[in-house]
This record gives sequence, C-alpha cells and structure tokens, in this order.
Amino acid sequence: MGSPLPDANKPDMPAEQIILNYHDGTSRVVYDTGVERPYPDGKLIVSRTDLDGILTHVNDAFVEISGYDVDELLGKQHYILRHPDMPRAAYKDLWATAESGKKWNGYVKNLCKDGSHYWVYATVVPNVRHGKTVGFTSVRRKPSRSKIEAAIAQYADMKQNEEA
Amino acid sequence: MTTHNMLIAPDFSPERFAGWHMFNILIQKRANLNMHLNMPASYSEQETLVENDNIQVIYANPFDAATLIREQGYRAVARPIGKSDEMVITAACDSDINSLEDIADGATIAMANNRDVKLIGLRLLEAVDLEESDLNWKVTETYQAAARQVIKGDAQIAFFLSEIFHSFSRLTKSQLNVLIESDIADISHVLLIKDDFPDEDILIDAVLNMHNDADGQEVLAELGMPEGFKSMCEEDAEFMLDLMETLMD
Repeated sequence: MGSPLPDANKPDMPAEQIILNYHDGTSRVVYDTGVERPYPDGKLIVSRTDLDGILTHVNDAFVEISGYDVDELLGKQHYILRHPDMPRAAYKDLWATAESGKKWNGYVKNLCKDGSHYWVYATVVPNVRHGKTVGFTSVRRKPSRSKIEAAIAQYADMKQNEEA
Repeated sequence: MTTHNMLIAPDFSPERFAGWHMFNILIQKRANLNMHLNMPASYSEQETLVENDNIQVIYANPFDAATLIREQGYRAVARPIGKSDEMVITAACDSDINSLEDIADGATIAMANNRDVKLIGLRLLEAVDLEESDLNWKVTETYQAAARQVIKGDAQIAFFLSEIFHSFSRLTKSQLNVLIESDIADISHVLLIKDDFPDEDILIDAVLNMHNDADGQEVLAELGMPEGFKSMCEEDAEFMLDLMETLMD
C-alpha cells in the first residue's frame, strides 16, 4: 500500500534516514537530526483529530513548533508527528485508552518537519457529544527534564523489545 | 415583570466592579427586562447562589463552566473577544529566585482563591518537577495581599490572574519579577444562560451588540474588554471544556 504522507525532505544538516511503518500499513521516509527544539514556555500545544486520527484542528503553538504550515497538517494523519524513537506500544496504548472513552497521559517525542524533535507531556481526551465520541483532543504541556530522561530510557527499552 | 438573576464570578479585578453594574443597567435597558446583579465575594458563595437554583445568567470562569454546563443546565452563549484567562508567576525582585528552576521544594506560594490560576500555575510548575504537595500555600483575601506577602518575603512566589497583575501600580510591579506568564489563549470566561431562560435571544442580542455604540463601548472599556463579546456555539464551549479536562491532572 502506498503512503498517504509524502516522504520527508532531506534536511540540510546530517541526519539519519529511517523508513517509518505506520499501523495502517503505510510507510514513509523520515529523517532524524537529533536536534531538540525547546518547548515554548507558558504555552499549550493543542490539536484535535477525528475518529480516524485525521487532524481537524491545530493551534498556533502546534504549527510553530512542528515546522509545518497549517495546510500541511489539517486533513493529515496525526502520525505525521511520530518520531522513530517512539515505541509502537505507546501509541497503541494511547489509542486503545482514548477509544475506550478514557483519558490518556504520557510523555511523547514528536518529530518536526525538518527532522528535529520536541518532547511533550500529552493528555488525550475523547470528545463526547450527546453521548457519542466524535473525535479526540490532545493537549501538550512542557515536561520536566527528569521526566524526559526517564521516558528516553523507558522508550529505548520498549523499542528494543519490539525489535527483538 | 419577572426579575432574573445574573451572577458574576468573583475573580474580577476590583476596578471592574463599577463596570459590571454599568453592564447590568445597560443590558436591562436594551433587553427590556429586570435583572438583579449578584456579585459573590467567594466561590463558596457563588456555589450557594447557583445551588439555590435561581440564577439565570452567569459570567463564569472556565473552571466552573464545566460543571455548570455539563451538570447544571447552563449553556455558553458568548465570550469576551481577545481576553483569555492567563496567569503570572512572580517572585520578589530582591529574591534569589530568578527562574522557575530556582523555586525549591517547600517554597510558599501566595495567591487569592482562584482555581483557574492555581490549576494553570501548577501545570507550569510541572516543568520544574514541582507538584502541589511540594509547596506551601497561603491563600489571601485579595491578589494585592498576595503581592504584599511576596514583597515582604512572607512568601517566595505569588500566582496572579494576568489581568490583575497588569493592573497593579507601577510601584507594586517594580518590586515583582515575572518568572513566567501563561499564553494559552483558548481558555476564557464565558457567559452562560440557564436552559429555560425565556428572554435568551434579546439578552444575547444586547450583549453581542454592545460594542456597536458609544454607551456600550463605555461599559466594555470599564470591563477591560473593549472589543466586546462574540457568540459561542455548543461546540466552542465543549472544546474549551475538553481542554480544561486535560489540565485537571
């Protein structure tokens, strides 16, 4: 199956090239420069998706840190932000929890358009309207350095197990 | 003519007091209805008034809006334009706290009793590994009292509603060092109407058109919302409530 997301552009700086395989059977080439972008102080990064994980709303902070234009984000799969260091199990847990109507919290490493990344503490809630879930809201906050370090170690272990 | 009740959440700056009375007078004139203005001094007083089930219109803070909308039969109809609820964390200028990272476990935080401010402040402090239980809390009667506590050194940090902090005198602000100010934008107070309120359309019309003439503009200037109100649909309110929900833990 072809990928609905185009391959990422090769950054000007040295970067590792990786083929990311998504849960829906699609894949694309992404680049990881290893450069971390600082979380914008005082802000929340907010997005909404429909039930299929398609982005329907992104706030200014989301657009700014991701490096994409709004038009490159809306209508695209939320996994456009997936960083190759994130284990599949973390996303599986996120979606299983949210789809069961519960709130999910966790630390997430997101991939920017230019191959850099940023860490967030994300909370995902189902949007329940008149008793029916119609989508999901994700709000990210600035995580502490100690929590990021713990997540790096935990996700590296999880990745290793997934690849074993 | 029936007299309705309007309630204003108790977290407005003291200088807005007259503005809310002017707002109520103008609304009554334009919507041709009788409206009694309730300005509770505390959240517990607000809750009692709402529980007595005789409040038809509420200018509510976003923290309370969730319960009022989802459990108590109110609907959001308008919000102020360009006036989101933000908060400020400060230390005293002469203290050795110059950034959030300098705040130690056990520090004392002074603040007036405002749950939105506390919630957002705690979320900002997560970034430096501080939780509510790591800190001591001094709840003051007013934000001005919280400022005095920090300036005198009785507390190390203070939380303020941004609007109130920015309304402080130059002298007070010169003694406070802003460590961070939130920039959330999506969270604001909202005007709620009880589901069975009979004069809804005429009231909403009066509120949304307030900025269109000199009398209305004067009232809005007194309230610190010169751009007036914009209408909110059910989904606008639900979006804000979902966002608040993510901040709860």
